[in-house]
Amino acid sequence: MLRFFRSVATARKLLPLLLLATACQPEKPATTEAAAPQHLRDDLGRELTVPARPRRIMSLAASMTEMLYAVADTATIVARTQVCDYPAAALRKPVINSYPLDIERLVALKPEVVFTTEGITSLTDAQRLQELGIPVYYQRYTKVEDVFRGLNDLGRILGRQPQARHLTDSLRAELGRIASATPPTASKPRVLAITWSDPIYVYGQNTLFTDKIALAGGQNAVVEKFAQPYPALTREYILKLNPDIIIGGTFGKMDSTFFRLYPELKRIRAYQTRRIYRVTDDLMSRPNPRVVEGVRELQQVVSGS
Amino acid sequence: MSRPALPWILACLLLMVVLLAVGLRVGSYETSYSLISRALLHYNPQDAAQLVLIELRLPRLLLALLAGAGLAVSGYLMQAMVNNSLADPYLLGTASGGALGASTVFTFFPALTITGLYLPPLAALLGALGTTLVVVIVGSRRGRIVPAQLLLAGVAVGSLTTSLGGLLTFLAATEEKLRTITFWALGGFDKASWAILPYPAVALGVGLLLLGFLHNSLNLLLLGEERATALGLPVARTRWLLLLIASGLTGCVVALAGPIGFVGLVVPHITRWLLGTVSRGNLVFCALLGGNFLLLCDLLARLLYPPAGLPVGLVTALFGVPFFVYLLRKQGS
Repeated sequence: MLRFFRSVATARKLLPLLLLATACQPEKPATTEAAAPQHLRDDLGRELTVPARPRRIMSLAASMTEMLYAVADTATIVARTQVCDYPAAALRKPVINSYPLDIERLVALKPEVVFTTEGITSLTDAQRLQELGIPVYYQRYTKVEDVFRGLNDLGRILGRQPQARHLTDSLRAELGRIASATPPTASKPRVLAITWSDPIYVYGQNTLFTDKIALAGGQNAVVEKFAQPYPALTREYILKLNPDIIIGGTFGKMDSTFFRLYPELKRIRAYQTRRIYRVTDDLMSRPNPRVVEGVRELQQVVSGS
Repeated sequence: MSRPALPWILACLLLMVVLLAVGLRVGSYETSYSLISRALLHYNPQDAAQLVLIELRLPRLLLALLAGAGLAVSGYLMQAMVNNSLADPYLLGTASGGALGASTVFTFFPALTITGLYLPPLAALLGALGTTLVVVIVGSRRGRIVPAQLLLAGVAVGSLTTSLGGLLTFLAATEEKLRTITFWALGGFDKASWAILPYPAVALGVGLLLLGFLHNSLNLLLLGEERATALGLPVARTRWLLLLIASGLTGCVVALAGPIGFVGLVVPHITRWLLGTVSRGNLVFCALLGGNFLLLCDLLARLLYPPAGLPVGLVTALFGVPFFVYLLRKQGS
């Protein structure tokens, strides 16, 4: 247990240092001002044109705001949304409501490009913004590696490649250390991650969680691929899955809420062996530069220490 | 006017047994008829498949049956009460009121429980009966129910509660809450358990028993208020009693299974087409047919979209409306 706290503490310490390192890079002189605009294709295959060196940027997703703070010159970030709460420095930026999108306020801040994540911003909103001359760049992550690639893409678009490279290199190294610390056991515990209890929604096979839990030495209990990333499951389906571990809250909390609502599910192995855990919400749900920290937390859950 | 009801009732009972048997086999666990008979006769809760059959599938099917029966009977009563075949169980704002109650809990009590008490059905019941009360107060005049005024009051108050529900949806903010509210409003039997079944069962039992005595009054009411009064029926009192039974039944169903549409409108029509307007077996047949209809819809929902199943409220309309249109055309020709 002590080891867990210590490793989380180091990871927590590590990231601000990295951010500081990236933020301290001297700005290049403005010789690239006249450079040709960039013609880009985002992760959804949408084509857009972005100024050579955008000086006014923003994000419409909490995870993307974290990505920008890790890579961009933070002075160029002109706003945040009501849900963006990390890093603390983001809280000082003006707030734009993202749902429903406050288009007028957004336009008034004149961002040159808006970054967001698939599934967070509707394509209709993106279309509206494009019509108003503000390009919207989507990223999509299905593997942890996609988050690293996303950081590097942002670095390239924002002219901050060295910073992004530096960050992803250290994140990859950190991930490598976690992998080498994972004992090569034959049986990988099957982990069911619950996001909502009524109806029961879980992390499906096509979410980032599947890759994260695999890197942490476990496997997503939901093997079947559903159309939705977070499918609704029946009690019967979960009984049949019979997961080894459940993520969704502390044992006491889940016992008094989830298992009170669905007492039949007390038969499953995770309940019988009390392997029911709470993890940090933002590390679990946001594809952000803290993804490695999230993997480390999952590793603690899987190894049961 | 009236045809023998017994053969139809027996046919419905047979269909019910078939649907229950088939329904018990649909789910994530592989099951056989021999396992089902073993589970029913010598239930062993240690066997996971038997547990699923008895604790999950059977209550679900029974809830579908009771909900269908409750809504169909309630619709039948509402149509008789206001003497209008367009009436349905949600005439008095029960559906939107129930939705408002449930949305309030989903928005403001994300834990959904207070000292272990599961709130959504309670809130839905309060919302449904509260709205009904308001509609009845607005729709009655000096202690008498005025059907036309009641219909208008139902529409108006229903709009108000729908808007208030919409406001809560807007304030809900998180995607999970929005999904919960939306899916609740489409209805479903996924939270069925033996603990909740007594409520709709008792409501339906008491309702049908009372109606057994009211049979003649119900038929007199169909003749219109003036003729019914001339024939000695205490119209005001009968209407109040029908209203009480119908709203109690609907409130109970809405609280446990959500506002499932269409059943309460159509099943009474089919009943009258098949058995005539005044048959003695009408209410029992109506209840059985409604139950069978929802059993079938739930079965389709689970077969079409495993494992969680489509919301049953969608299926009732998707399959019910074409059938209804077919019947309308056939009757017209």
